[in-house]
Amino acid sequence: MRLCVESGVPGFDDLGYSDLGCGIPENTVTLIYGPPKTGKSIFSHQFAYHGLLNGESCLCILTDYGINELKQNMMGFGWFLETQIQNDMFYVIDAISRLTGDVFPDSNTYKLTSLNDPADMMVKVGIGTRFVLKRSDDFRSVFDSLTTSLAFNPDKLVIRFYRAYMHRLKEARGTAIVNYTEGVASDVVENAIKSVSDNIIRLDGEYLTIERMGGLKNIKAPYRITDKGVTVEKE
Amino acid sequence: MIKKSHIPKLDDFLDGGIPEGTSVLFCAYPGIGSETFGYQILNGRLQEGDKGFIFTNVAEPSSIIYEFNKYGWDLEKNIDEENVFFVDGSSYFIGSPVMGKYSIENYSQIKEVVKKAINDVPSGVGVINNLSTLVDYLGVEETLETIHEWNEFAKLNKTVLIYIFTKWDYEEQFIDEIKSSVDCLVNVNTIEDRVIIGQGFMVVSSSWTTPSNEMALFFIIQPGGVRIYIPKILVTGPHNAGKSTFVKAISKKSVSVDRKALGKFKTTIAMDIGHMEYKGFVADVFGTPGQERFDLILDVLAKEAVGAFILVDSTLPETFARAKEMISKCKAEAIPKIIVANKTDLPGALTTEKIREIMKLGSDIPIVPASAREKIGINEAMDAFLALLYRD
Repeated sequence: MRLCVESGVPGFDDLGYSDLGCGIPENTVTLIYGPPKTGKSIFSHQFAYHGLLNGESCLCILTDYGINELKQNMMGFGWFLETQIQNDMFYVIDAISRLTGDVFPDSNTYKLTSLNDPADMMVKVGIGTRFVLKRSDDFRSVFDSLTTSLAFNPDKLVIRFYRAYMHRLKEARGTAIVNYTEGVASDVVENAIKSVSDNIIRLDGEYLTIERMGGLKNIKAPYRITDKGVTVEKE
Repeated sequence: MIKKSHIPKLDDFLDGGIPEGTSVLFCAYPGIGSETFGYQILNGRLQEGDKGFIFTNVAEPSSIIYEFNKYGWDLEKNIDEENVFFVDGSSYFIGSPVMGKYSIENYSQIKEVVKKAINDVPSGVGVINNLSTLVDYLGVEETLETIHEWNEFAKLNKTVLIYIFTKWDYEEQFIDEIKSSVDCLVNVNTIEDRVIIGQGFMVVSSSWTTPSNEMALFFIIQPGGVRIYIPKILVTGPHNAGKSTFVKAISKKSVSVDRKALGKFKTTIAMDIGHMEYKGFVADVFGTPGQERFDLILDVLAKEAVGAFILVDSTLPETFARAKEMISKCKAEAIPKIIVANKTDLPGALTTEKIREIMKLGSDIPIVPASAREKIGINEAMDAFLALLYRD
């Protein structure tokens, strides 16, 4: 059994060996947080796409943008999802499109839910984990992001949902990245989100800091966003 | 006066249905949608000519109408005919246009507005979806106080209240208080191993009848709603591990499709079929043949199974590799399973610890020593299986 999964982010896996090897520890949930527009979503897309290229299915929860925007954003980096969608490897739970009116009908791999209905979101996560596990024994998950959920639900409920999502993902032995925009919630809520997460990475626009991951702590490196996505550089 | 719930099997559990003026809480594990129960009860009662309402603080009314359509239930017509209405506690908070007879723009209004709704549907039914969201807005004490007040008011008005509740990671004390605030508690549980593979409901308490400990497994179909099914349990393992004897031992009735190999010993060539009823759990039992030449049947038998007994001959460690192969071929890695260490009464039988070590099994998979022939360890095996299934 492998202990880490490759992140798919150039330079990231070389940042240091944790107790578990290099990359992102398998079967954990990694919180990526930082100010807006610092590459959190791009990092998570890279992570998902790299898994897909290696035959790992992906369960993706979208709360900030719909499936079309996701496809367009990823296409900008040369990451094409169509084949993976056709092969039922990419499972999307879309919590935003009902609100924006950009609605597609449900399919095998596309489920609509509502931002203010965490119970229903959790039902879709349950169905989704079962689906992706049938497609591949190793799978990844991306939740982009917790930020919008906080705007539509009581803080406590979002944390309850986050814990339930983590439990479901880890039971199914998936590896997940969850994004959160720094400063949106109160310090208390932000600390609660961090304390629940297994690993924490901060992106500030210039530096990527692994605050906690496996045995690693406070490892800092500069990064850039290039046409290959987030690229971590050597100091 | 008792009225049908319109949920299959639930009326049997509840001695005919739900009495007027009572409250029922559907308490669901996160990952299971229990609002269908509430909607199906409401739809059934509307068809009987009763009136009702839906309080929603999760989905917007338009989404609920859409859901009803997918189930094949015409909510819109009933709204037009003023048989049912919404208390919309969702739309305002997400910036959508509010819809319904009543709407909530401030959570402090909820208690009184819902009381008005109850008053509008005497002898009818109100669905509260979702109580758990309410808790995080109002706080524990105010929520409990609100439920008590609604229930008292509903009792006077002979209105049935159906609460939909997701059991997030609340304090146990709060869960207990919520549960004791209602007349009837129905738990909606998952059956899982890595992922959710099944779901079942069970009446845990009821003020008007003594609940059985039976769990009904169900799935939700669109159109249709809640549908009950008899789950399938697999019994698998290497040739001559004692599967047929075990199927007979756990079943009230059973048949085997077998023949006498070399004219002397019986061997299963297709399958054993039994019907198990134990402590309220009802299932069809399928015993697979053990010989490799019949492996093609395994995949067919494995479909829709919710759990498996893996039989091994405790005296023959050389067959354990085959047992692991059969776990894989039956796709039993992904369903709750226990290992039955059979023939434990025979000389040379290995201990369960030794079997675990040789088979390299994790501590999460129970191993139960048994002798199917001597009926030793059968109840223990079934108890271990149910504990795993119900995640006691």
